[in-house]
Amino acid sequence: MAKFRVLNPEGYPPGVTARGMAPSLDTLDGKKLFLVDVGFANSDNFMAQLHGWFEDHRPEIRTEIVRWRNQHIPDPELCERIQADGDAAIIGVGT
Amino acid sequence: MGVHVHVFAALVRKAVKSSGMPSARQAFVPTPLMNTSSTGLREYVEGNDPIHGRPFMAEVFDQLTRPVPDGELRGEGWDRSTPRYVEAESEEDMHALFQERHYTDFLPIVLPTEERVERMLTGTSHASDEMVGKLRPTIGMEYWHFDVERVAVNAVMAGAAPEHFPVILALASSGDTGRQSSMSSMGNMVLVNGPIRHEIGMNCGIGALGPYNYANSAIGRAFGLLSQNLQGGSVPGDTYNGSQGCNFSYNCITFAENEEASPWEPYHVQFGYDKDESAVTVSYIWGSVWAEYLRTFWEEKLQAMICGLEPGMGCTLVLDPIVAREFCERGLDTKEKLARWIHENARIPQRRFWDHVMLNLIHEEVEAGVEPWASYWNAQPDELIPVFETNRINIVVAGGETNGHFSIFMGSPMRAKFRTNKGKNATVSIDAWR
Repeated sequence: MAKFRVLNPEGYPPGVTARGMAPSLDTLDGKKLFLVDVGFANSDNFMAQLHGWFEDHRPEIRTEIVRWRNQHIPDPELCERIQADGDAAIIGVGT
Repeated sequence: MGVHVHVFAALVRKAVKSSGMPSARQAFVPTPLMNTSSTGLREYVEGNDPIHGRPFMAEVFDQLTRPVPDGELRGEGWDRSTPRYVEAESEEDMHALFQERHYTDFLPIVLPTEERVERMLTGTSHASDEMVGKLRPTIGMEYWHFDVERVAVNAVMAGAAPEHFPVILALASSGDTGRQSSMSSMGNMVLVNGPIRHEIGMNCGIGALGPYNYANSAIGRAFGLLSQNLQGGSVPGDTYNGSQGCNFSYNCITFAENEEASPWEPYHVQFGYDKDESAVTVSYIWGSVWAEYLRTFWEEKLQAMICGLEPGMGCTLVLDPIVAREFCERGLDTKEKLARWIHENARIPQRRFWDHVMLNLIHEEVEAGVEPWASYWNAQPDELIPVFETNRINIVVAGGETNGHFSIFMGSPMRAKFRTNKGKNATVSIDAWR
């Protein structure tokens, strides 16, 4: 039995609902990857370098750089386009 | 999959877990990203992921192609709750537990026993189970909610008295946090206006912004503690990522306006309140510059002070009554005239205006042609741009007239949307929480 008791200063967290993930790809060969610049400082340059790496080393993997319109809010139109035209997306850079 | 700088690994783990996808795919690059050259960024791409300890690109390929077990694909949900009570073997153990759980600011606190919390609740007419609001450490993180009792628990911890409680509840309801997790390490300023200043003995005179008054000290500390505990934490590397931190956060620069000595209308009256109403305003603040009197070259000095601040995020002038009267004597006899003078005279070249993080924050508005940002973006590099729009120039009078001093703080209330120059000011009613 505890001898000392006080009230909890923490707030009430939201419940957590399971969210499913997309299954992995078998291979990236011949696939289309969207490189999503979320808009933090220098993320555009990082995605350009990543794009350059794929062109230099794995040209059979198609990549396209796109920009998230607001760095703090997912861009629904862009997400729809990625789902329709792409196989995967690399989103960043979180800074 | 996501790519992040490695210092946010703990934050990323927490975020994906609380979003129900604890196995979400991630890879990491070194810090910093900002100001790193193209060559340096290419080295990041070709180098190691500092969290996983192997080549970054190998990690990218692995994350995208490694089969994920069905259980992980489904994600994971669970019920979280924070029990009403915290228990320990002794009072001493409880203090240690509160520090261990990061419930405190690492100064001694008053333990929130039921008796003390009940006494705090006498400071308001609102029911203990009434929901007050929601807070989060920063944009993109989850909101936590809280009721009157949980706010009272934090008010007790800060050493506040029941008569302070309506101000503390108003702060809690504001939606503004006193523990913002911006990498820029911002702090806060809490400005109290109206009759409650005198009812609870707040200081707006000599030493108003210093540690010389019970109400100022306790309310400011309570705002910080309630923010960190009610929003789900403020723990470095986890729920707090200000690179340097901010000493303002101990008290959130809490003071009252010296309305009686001011030649101008009180701050809250500017935003629709009657002078007989009590209200509180939360600003986000990064730092300050100081000066004395309006001497011979005051215009040049004021321009230089404003132009040295980072543009866009606003500024708050805290003027001793002597300085406020000096502005009046020079023809700037309303707050609006002074704000207009600053807007028109404190300007920097277009190239420097945009050489700042705000370019990222309002990129969307620039592209959409929102003014004034679109015009400022299209201006020539040497064209002079106002550092601040008038609605981001806040003017407050405080001090005891021992001399004509003033400070200009970089920062302002954030709910008046600086992106669109629209939206309500962040001044909230205290009377609603009596």
